[in-house]
Amino acid sequence: MITLTHFLVVGACIFAIGLYAVIARRNAILVLVGIELMINAAILNLVAFGRYDSTRYGGQAFALFAIVLAAAGVAVALAIILNVYKHYKTINPEDINKLRD
Amino acid sequence: MPLPTLTYPVLAAVSAVLLPFVGFLLQALMGKRSQNGAIALITIALSLLAAGYTFAQVWGNEPIHVQWRWFTIGQQVFYVGLLLDNVSVLMLLLVAFVALPVHAYSVAYMKGDSGIHRYWTYLSLFCSAMLGLVVADNLLLMYVCWELVGFASYLLIGFWFTRDAAAAANKKAFIVNRIGDIGFLIGFAILYSFLGTLDLNTLFGQEGFFATASGAEASGIIAHPKIPAGWLTTAGLAFFLGAMAKSAQFPLHVWLPAAMEGPTSVSSLIHAATMVAAGVFLLARIFPLFDDTALLVIATTGAVTAFVAAYFALTQYDIKKILAYSTISQLGFMMVGIGIGMYQLALFYLVTHAFFKCLLFLGAGAIIHELQHLNDKHQLGIDPQDIRHMGGLRKYMPITFVTMLIASLALAGFPLTAGYLSKDALLIHAFEWAALQNDASVAIPYVLAVASILTSFYILRLLAKVFLGSPAIGVMTSARPHEASAWMLVPMLVLAACSLFPLFTTSPLNYGQAWLLQKILPMAALPPLPLLHVLVPLLTTMATVAMTLLVWQWYVKQKYPLKAGGLFFRLSQQQGYVDVFYDRIVAAAVLRCSNVLFWVDKHIIDGAVNGLAALGRILAAIAGWVDQRLVDGFVRLVGKLAWGLGNVLRRSQTGRLQDYMASVFFIILVILLYHLIVQA
Repeated sequence: MITLTHFLVVGACIFAIGLYAVIARRNAILVLVGIELMINAAILNLVAFGRYDSTRYGGQAFALFAIVLAAAGVAVALAIILNVYKHYKTINPEDINKLRD
Repeated sequence: MPLPTLTYPVLAAVSAVLLPFVGFLLQALMGKRSQNGAIALITIALSLLAAGYTFAQVWGNEPIHVQWRWFTIGQQVFYVGLLLDNVSVLMLLLVAFVALPVHAYSVAYMKGDSGIHRYWTYLSLFCSAMLGLVVADNLLLMYVCWELVGFASYLLIGFWFTRDAAAAANKKAFIVNRIGDIGFLIGFAILYSFLGTLDLNTLFGQEGFFATASGAEASGIIAHPKIPAGWLTTAGLAFFLGAMAKSAQFPLHVWLPAAMEGPTSVSSLIHAATMVAAGVFLLARIFPLFDDTALLVIATTGAVTAFVAAYFALTQYDIKKILAYSTISQLGFMMVGIGIGMYQLALFYLVTHAFFKCLLFLGAGAIIHELQHLNDKHQLGIDPQDIRHMGGLRKYMPITFVTMLIASLALAGFPLTAGYLSKDALLIHAFEWAALQNDASVAIPYVLAVASILTSFYILRLLAKVFLGSPAIGVMTSARPHEASAWMLVPMLVLAACSLFPLFTTSPLNYGQAWLLQKILPMAALPPLPLLHVLVPLLTTMATVAMTLLVWQWYVKQKYPLKAGGLFFRLSQQQGYVDVFYDRIVAAAVLRCSNVLFWVDKHIIDGAVNGLAALGRILAAIAGWVDQRLVDGFVRLVGKLAWGLGNVLRRSQTGRLQDYMASVFFIILVILLYHLIVQA
C-alpha cells in the first residue's frame, strides 16, 4: 500500500535532485530544469496532501496554479537565458560572475 | 568728623615737616640734576622758620592737638595728627635748628662727591622723618616716622656703599635698629590691645589713662585698672628696647660706632638731633607709662652705658669713634635722667648735647677734610681719621680749635657752658634720687660721676692729641693746612655760640633758672639736698681741671706713664669685645641656624617636591604603558578582527548565482536544524 510518506520521500528526493542541479550544473538550461524539478516536487506534495481535502480539492487546484506559474516562469527564464547568452556568449553559470559589487 | 580748624601754628608745624619732604621728592625726581643742594638747604631753612614760628606760638601755652581720620579697620578708626606741646615744639625747633648748620656745612664738605645728589635727597628725607616723629600725635604715626628715620639713616650710613666697611656698617645699623623696632611694635601693640587707642594725649595726657598727679609721684604710678601690672611692665620694657636700639644703649650700641663709616656731616646729624635723640624723645613722650621696674631697668642700663662707653672711648685712635662713644655715654646719662623720673632733665641734656656734639663732629669733619686733602696732595697714605697722625693743628686751624675747645668743655661739663648746666643738674638729681633708694641702685650716681670724669679725660685727650703738641707728620709744617671754608666755619661758630650758657639762662651757675626747664614741666620735687648743689658742680669742675693737668702732662709734655697693652687697655681698645662677641656668637649662631634651615629647605622640602615629581613621572609612565599596550591594543584588536572577518566574508560574494543559492540553502538548512533541535 502506498502511503503519504512514500509520496513525501519521492518529493524530497526529486527536490534534492533539483537542488543539486540548481547548485552544481554547468549549464543554465539544466539549472532551469533543476528549478522545474523542485517546483514539481512541491506540486507532488500538494497533490499528495490534497487527498485529505477530498471535498474541495484544494491541493489539486493549487497544483494546477503552480504548473501554470511554473510554465510562465520557464518562459521568462528561457528569455533571460537567451539574453544572457547574447551578452556573455555562454550559458555556463561559472563564467557569469557579475552579480556583485 | 569735621576737619579741625587749621590755625597758623598748626599750618606752620605741618609745613615744617612737609617742606623737607617736598624737598626730598623734588630732588628724588630731579636726580643727578640737583647737585648743589640748594633745594635741601632752602627747604630746611624754611622749615626752620616755620618751626620757629610754631615754637614762639606754642611754647609755654596750651598744647594744640589736631587730628584727621586716617583709615578705618572694622570698627577701629585710626587718626593722623599733630600734638604740639612744649616738648614737641622744642624738639621741632631743635631738629630744624641743628639740621640747618649741618646742611650748610655739607655744601662744602660733600663738594665734588660723585653721589652728592643722593646725599641731599637722603638728608631731606632724614630731616623730614625726624620732624614728623616729634610732632606725631599717636604711636602709629610715630612708629611710621621712626621707621623712616631708621631707613634714611641706613641710606646715609651706607652712602659710600662701594666701601665694604660702609656697607657692613649700614647693614649693622639696620639690623640692630630692627631689633629695637620690634620692641616698639610690641609695646604699642600691648597698649592698643588693652586700651584700644594709640593717641598720645588720650594715653599720656593730663587726663589720660596714665595721668599722674605730679612728677614727684611719677615713680609711684598706680596701674590703670584696664591693664595688668605685668603687661604694663612688659610694655614699658618693650618701648625701652626700641629706645635702646635707636639711642644706642649698651649692649645694642654697636651700630653707632660702626655708623662712623657715613659722611661726617651725617654723623653729626645722627648724633645731635635726628637719630639717637628719637629714643630719648620717645621715652620722654610716653614717660607716664613706666612703672618702678621699668624705670629701674632704664636707669641701670643708662648708667652702665654711660660708664662702659666712656671707658671704651679712652683708648680709641679714630677721632670719630671717640666722639661716637662719647655720644653713647651721654645718651646713657639721658637714660638715667629718664630712669630717675626726671625726663625734663634728660630732654634738657638732649638739647644742650645736640649743639656741642654736632659741633664736635663738624670740627672733626673739618680736620678730616683737611687731612684728606693733604693725604691726596702729598700721597701720604695715612688714615685721615687717626688722631695719631694729627697734632699741633692749633696753629693752622685756630677757629676750629676754639670751637672744638668750647664744645669739649661743654661735654666735660665745665662752668659757663651749656653742658655744665644740664649735666650737673642731672648728676645732682641722680644723687638726690639715690638718697631715696635703699638697694644697690644707690651706686648709679657714683657710676655716672666716674663716667663724667672719664668723659673729661677722653675729650681732653682728643683735643691734646689733635691740636696741641707738635705735628705728627713732618709734611704738615711745609704743607701748611688751613682753615676750612666759610660754609663749614660759620655753622661751627653758630653752634659754638649755642654751646655756651647765654642761650639757656642768664645765671651761668644755676641750672634752675634755665627757661627751658621751667617751661617743660614744673620741676619735680625730689627732696633737695642743698649741699649737693654746691658740692657736685665743684667736684666735677675740679675733676675736669685735674684731668686737664693730667692730659697736659701725659700727652702734651709726652710723659705718658702707663704701658699700653695691659688687660684694661686692651679691653677698652677692643671696645669690650662686644663686636667680637656678636660676630662669633650671635652672628655665627644665626648663620649656622640659617645653614641648617637652608639644608632643610634644599633636602627635605625640595626633596619632597622632587620626590612627588618623580612619583608622578613613574605613575605617568605606567599609565602610558597601559594606554598604549592595553587600551590601544584592545582597540586595534577589534579593528584587526573586523578586518580579518571582512577579508574572510568578502570571499562569499563571488557574483555567481549558484553560490548564492547554495548559501541560501545552507542558511535555511541551519535555521531548520535550529528549530528542530531547539523546539524538539
